[in-house]
Amino acid sequence: MAENNSIRVRLVTPEKIFIDGTADSVSLPSASGYLEVLYAHAPLLAELGPGEVTMRGGDVGDRQLFVAQGFVEVLPDRVTILAESALPPGEINVPEARQQLERGQKMWNDAGDEARLYDEANRVIREAEERIAAAERAGKSG
Amino acid sequence: MANVLDLRRRIRSVKNTRQITKAMKMVAAAKLRRSQERAFAARPYARMIASVLASLVRRIDIYDPDTGEAKHPLLESRPEKRVTVVMVTGDKGFAGAFNANVLKATHRFIDERTDVDVDLEIVGRKGIGVLRRSYAPASLAGDGRFAQGPQPRNRGARVEITGEHAGMLDNLTFEKAADLAHILVERYASQETDAVYLVFNEFQSVISQRIVVERILPIVEVGKPDIAGAVELEREQREEIARAAQSAGVSLKAEDTRQADEEASKFGTAQVDYIYEQPPSELMGALLPRYIATQLFHAMLESVAAEHAARMTAMDAATNNASDMIDAYTLTMNRLRQAAITKEIIEIVSGAAAI
Repeated sequence: MAENNSIRVRLVTPEKIFIDGTADSVSLPSASGYLEVLYAHAPLLAELGPGEVTMRGGDVGDRQLFVAQGFVEVLPDRVTILAESALPPGEINVPEARQQLERGQKMWNDAGDEARLYDEANRVIREAEERIAAAERAGKSG
Repeated sequence: MANVLDLRRRIRSVKNTRQITKAMKMVAAAKLRRSQERAFAARPYARMIASVLASLVRRIDIYDPDTGEAKHPLLESRPEKRVTVVMVTGDKGFAGAFNANVLKATHRFIDERTDVDVDLEIVGRKGIGVLRRSYAPASLAGDGRFAQGPQPRNRGARVEITGEHAGMLDNLTFEKAADLAHILVERYASQETDAVYLVFNEFQSVISQRIVVERILPIVEVGKPDIAGAVELEREQREEIARAAQSAGVSLKAEDTRQADEEASKFGTAQVDYIYEQPPSELMGALLPRYIATQLFHAMLESVAAEHAARMTAMDAATNNASDMIDAYTLTMNRLRQAAITKEIIEIVSGAAAI
């Protein structure tokens, strides 16, 4: 059976266990770019960036969720995603994301000389941009 | 002496009160069930964050081998000269001694440390209302923030209120807790405060609760609460809560989460060499503030559940009191009525005898 080629996926948010099932492949946004996880992936620990987690096959079905901020642990037979928030791209609140983008740009302008504040501003901007992009993609396909 | 009519009115009024307290008790019980589920559902995430962090701490040197200094500001302990206390109370009353107990623990904390400056961050309207009477808000620096950095700011008093968070608990979200955590982490990292304590009502299950003073910053040992003081429930209180819970149909046992807990605590701890997508120290830098946020969020969820449990118990006691009162009044009323009847009969009989 395909069972031996599927991986166990769990997506956990601070509120609850969001997803607990199996999938054939999972693609996730790490802080430094997307990665695709298949069965027997090397053990890996990464910070999650803003973006979409896409699961294919298995009993969770084809699902896409937008996540921002978190961590992921990959083991050969399972993937555990810790995310501060997770929601289907279709439910993204675009006006709110745009506000966040403006807020981020304002932070960037006000950051002055402190590198730390720039990093923070960049993070907010990136998250907002990813959020808007994901919502637009969802809008087109839906 | 009260007559029958007065007593009848009195009984009617107490019956109305009893109906209200009974309804409040059932509402509190329903809310308790929901908040209990929420608190349990939130556990896996908290466990996972703690376990991955603990495993990272074991794998990388958190102390600089040359200087012996901690590599991350949140791990570094300093002598406590200025501390921040985060007190979690409720937004509403009618919850018995719930708010008073937390306040008592806070007051004791402040009184025990006479040579330490204390900043208060208060969550919940009830705590704000009380502490505002004894302590003044801290004065803000020109830029709308408290003085930043290791220099002590200008204090009006030893104990000052630096933040009030009313209405945070109804509709509690992780973001709200994370925002507060962010403030605390900033203050600690900039050496504005030397330790952060959390005073709240811990809630393991309906009958296993305690008021806890927990130090959340600096992080001394990951995954192990650093308890500075705790007050357990007394047996009497526990029995009272158990009775109230039973009559409202709330289960006493904590859900069996052991298996899930165990699984969650394996997160990030497999005995393999992980590939670190980011440098471990960077991973840890991102994890530590989140660990604090998780702790805060969890404390608040538990406090909310405890508040509902306390309200349920208080309202159960009030309902029972009302029932007792009704019984007593009914008895008196019946006696009075009987006395009146007897008197009338005597009058009639003696009148008849006189003829």
